Amino acid sequence: MTRSYVARRLLYGIPLVLGVTFISFLLMVYFGPDKTYELLGKNPTADQIREVRQALGYDQPFMLRYADYLKQLVTLDLGLSDSSGESVSSILGRTLPISIALVLPGFVLGNIAGLMLGLMAAWYRGKWLDKLIMSASVVGMSVSFLVIIIGLQILLCTPYGLNLFPVRGWQVHDLGSYLYFVTVPTLALVFVTLGYNTRFYRAVMADEIDRDHIRTLRAYGASPFELMFKHVLKNSLIPILTRIMFSIPFVVISGSLLLESYFGIPGIGLVTFNAITSGDQPVLKAVVGLTGVLFVLALTVNDLLYSLVDPRVAKP
Amino acid sequence: MMNDTWQRLKSDRYGMGGLMVVAAFAFIAICVWSGLLGQGWSEVSGNRWESASASHWFGTNLLGQDIFQRTLFGTATAFEVGLIVTLCSTILGALLGALSGWYSNGWLDEVILWIKGVLDSIPFYLFAAAIAYALQGNTWAMHVAMIVTFWTTTARIIRGEVIRIKQREYIEAAQAIGLPDLLIIFRHVLPNTFHILLVQASIVFVAAINTEVILSFLGLGIQDGVSWGLMLAESSQEVLAGHFGNFIAAGSFLFILLMGFNLLADSLQDAVDTRRVIQ
Amino acid sequence: MKTPALSVSNLRIWFESGSNRNHAVDNISFNILPGEATGLVGESGCGKSMTALAILGLLPAAGIKTSCSSIKVNGIEISRLSQAQRRDILGRDIAMIFQQPGTALDPVFTIGSLIGATYRRHFGGSKQVIRQAVCESLESVGFKDPGQIAATYPHQLSGGMRQLAMIAMATICKPAVIIADEPTTSLDSATRSIILQQLARLQKSHQTAVLMISHDLGVIRQNCNQVLVMYCGRLVEKTDSQHLFAHARHPYSAGLVSCIPQINVQQGSSLASIPGQVPTADRLPPGCHFAPRCTRARPVCDEAAPELDDAQGVGVACFRPLS
Repeated sequence: MTRSYVARRLLYGIPLVLGVTFISFLLMVYFGPDKTYELLGKNPTADQIREVRQALGYDQPFMLRYADYLKQLVTLDLGLSDSSGESVSSILGRTLPISIALVLPGFVLGNIAGLMLGLMAAWYRGKWLDKLIMSASVVGMSVSFLVIIIGLQILLCTPYGLNLFPVRGWQVHDLGSYLYFVTVPTLALVFVTLGYNTRFYRAVMADEIDRDHIRTLRAYGASPFELMFKHVLKNSLIPILTRIMFSIPFVVISGSLLLESYFGIPGIGLVTFNAITSGDQPVLKAVVGLTGVLFVLALTVNDLLYSLVDPRVAKP
Repeated sequence: MMNDTWQRLKSDRYGMGGLMVVAAFAFIAICVWSGLLGQGWSEVSGNRWESASASHWFGTNLLGQDIFQRTLFGTATAFEVGLIVTLCSTILGALLGALSGWYSNGWLDEVILWIKGVLDSIPFYLFAAAIAYALQGNTWAMHVAMIVTFWTTTARIIRGEVIRIKQREYIEAAQAIGLPDLLIIFRHVLPNTFHILLVQASIVFVAAINTEVILSFLGLGIQDGVSWGLMLAESSQEVLAGHFGNFIAAGSFLFILLMGFNLLADSLQDAVDTRRVIQ
Repeated sequence: MKTPALSVSNLRIWFESGSNRNHAVDNISFNILPGEATGLVGESGCGKSMTALAILGLLPAAGIKTSCSSIKVNGIEISRLSQAQRRDILGRDIAMIFQQPGTALDPVFTIGSLIGATYRRHFGGSKQVIRQAVCESLESVGFKDPGQIAATYPHQLSGGMRQLAMIAMATICKPAVIIADEPTTSLDSATRSIILQQLARLQKSHQTAVLMISHDLGVIRQNCNQVLVMYCGRLVEKTDSQHLFAHARHPYSAGLVSCIPQINVQQGSSLASIPGQVPTADRLPPGCHFAPRCTRARPVCDEAAPELDDAQGVGVACFRPLS
């Protein structure tokens, strides 16, 4: 993999980054609510209004305001939160690690478990084990994330169930307290992703098992373990990687949004949730813009990984 | 083609089970719309948090409203959201997907692919939040957010299918005799993707109902009226105090409907997948 | 008499749908001696490839059933083995060469690691030993630079080279039996003769028994001593390969032979063809399956199926064979 190839892949991401940032600019800055009067006292004078509008950049032409927003994203100088007055970049820097610590175990476990179940179902395709796993995953897909969270909370965190874990909160200072607070959200995340993951991985593996080269290996005495874990798995790495890379930004943001607002965990999701409910524009536009950019980066990395994984993807 | 699909669907008992569940819920929704059911959803008909009884099947909520009535009304809400989102996003996806596939590798295709790429790059709930923010609490913000993001998958599938159909002889013949592109697309190409649209619509319906629940919980969803998502949001406070009425009612209705739809979508997919049948 | 390297008796393969049994392969038996090549010919869809997969025990289970009285490799019964026991035999005592070299090799592994894995599975050994064996095997099929070939991925080779690599993989454990399923069908004619020559050479030098499956009689004529002619899942004629071209006895075999262009040109007549179409497995005619297309058919042919009597090593399943 040459440096120019990496550079070219990154170049392909630019139109996407521009699109993502443009949409968030359009929705939240340009069409967003006019904040002039929120910042003014009663009965403002025309001069005061003009001053505030100037400070907010409302008098600038459209493209200049967009360029300004881009500059904010690039320099990570994202302004101050409307509600707390703290700088947005320091809020994000403080909360992002918490969100990652919160969703990472569930994300990893959900994918590993889905992969294993998918492998098993694909290997025993058409047999009772396959049918059992696939029926269970349809049931899993039919339970709403919210119902899972509330249900697990009742079962594990209240006197009506086992009452083993805290109802809400995040006072993490060592491994024990981490496990204490992270278990229920992790279970919820695993539960909600497992059905979808299992179905996806089974479909991928079942396709691979049908390939001619797998039949060749069977004809040469390869064991099921060798077939599945060496050949089927390596051949399906591209769709697997793609799914994982694609879902990272979504699980981190969407998963933490729901989990954190429900369990009161001070991560990026809770910050976003509060920004949604209070209309905190600087926070919202930073989160939307940055995740879009992150996603495009993930896509690019994904493309680069392809050529590492599969010799057929041309290496220029 | 559709006849075959129906025959195959009929022989799949899981699919038929799913269809019946969906039909039953649709019936409830129609009854609510025509004023026969669930009309007492907002009136205070008892004390707060009454437990289940003959007059209140699932008890009452914080305000003393009947949870069962609210659940029935929530069915109509779910169908309303599901139908509007599914219809609009499927039409949008079919049109843009067909154009994109027909003019594949042209500038129009590039533009549509770019828009799809951009929309797919923004995490959905954030996008919904941004739209809600831009529309300042407009009732339709949730619908718009879903329609604007859900069409992309449909368009991607239709694009691939149209590229395949374009190479068939009768399409080449139609082009050779000089029929205008749009006429060919609408008369000869899109009708051949109907079965794919049907499957995709059933999947979008599930996603729309599921998403409404989450958005309503986040305060970005249903503004007036009641939905299962709002009931679950309500229940999140109540369950700690041991009041499970909202949770059980909304949770189980939601689960049964989603399960029915998932089974139906699965067996629809099997039924129209002619490639598998030929093999 | 020598022990046959491969002996198949009463092999049946059928699809089961409800109470219906549709036979794809109906009661076939044959032996192949060490160092000899037997051709299995017939139109596509007559059950040739299924026979090969069934011998290896690789038929997918979904709706397809098999039965046989025995399948022996070097006198050892393999049809009753467990999956794990069978894996020890596959690749070591009996190997298969597939039709599509383009898809038959795992694209994400190098040729060397694929061939080496076969050797390691059955014989073990250090990296050096395996590497050595891989290189020898690649060299034996005619590669001048085996080390370099071993390091390439399948997609980097041409179709013919891939098929040679496949042959190297099939021969690395020096199996007693090689089944070659249409090994040259997807290749051009120059490559085809190289592949056939290599196969013939290895067959002689290792005393391997080869079952050559093909719809191409030219291939059979070039490489095989014995021919089995198959029609709709039944063996209709078993004969010496030179004999078949001169004196085919079953009307179907005769039809196949007359379809070979160059023979017709010599005879000065136009290219012959067999009238009608091969029936599908669920619509097989009663009696002799070939009767509806046969110009020599008599009423008896529609009523009873003729038996193949091969007590003398050759035989024909026909009530009115050509003499």
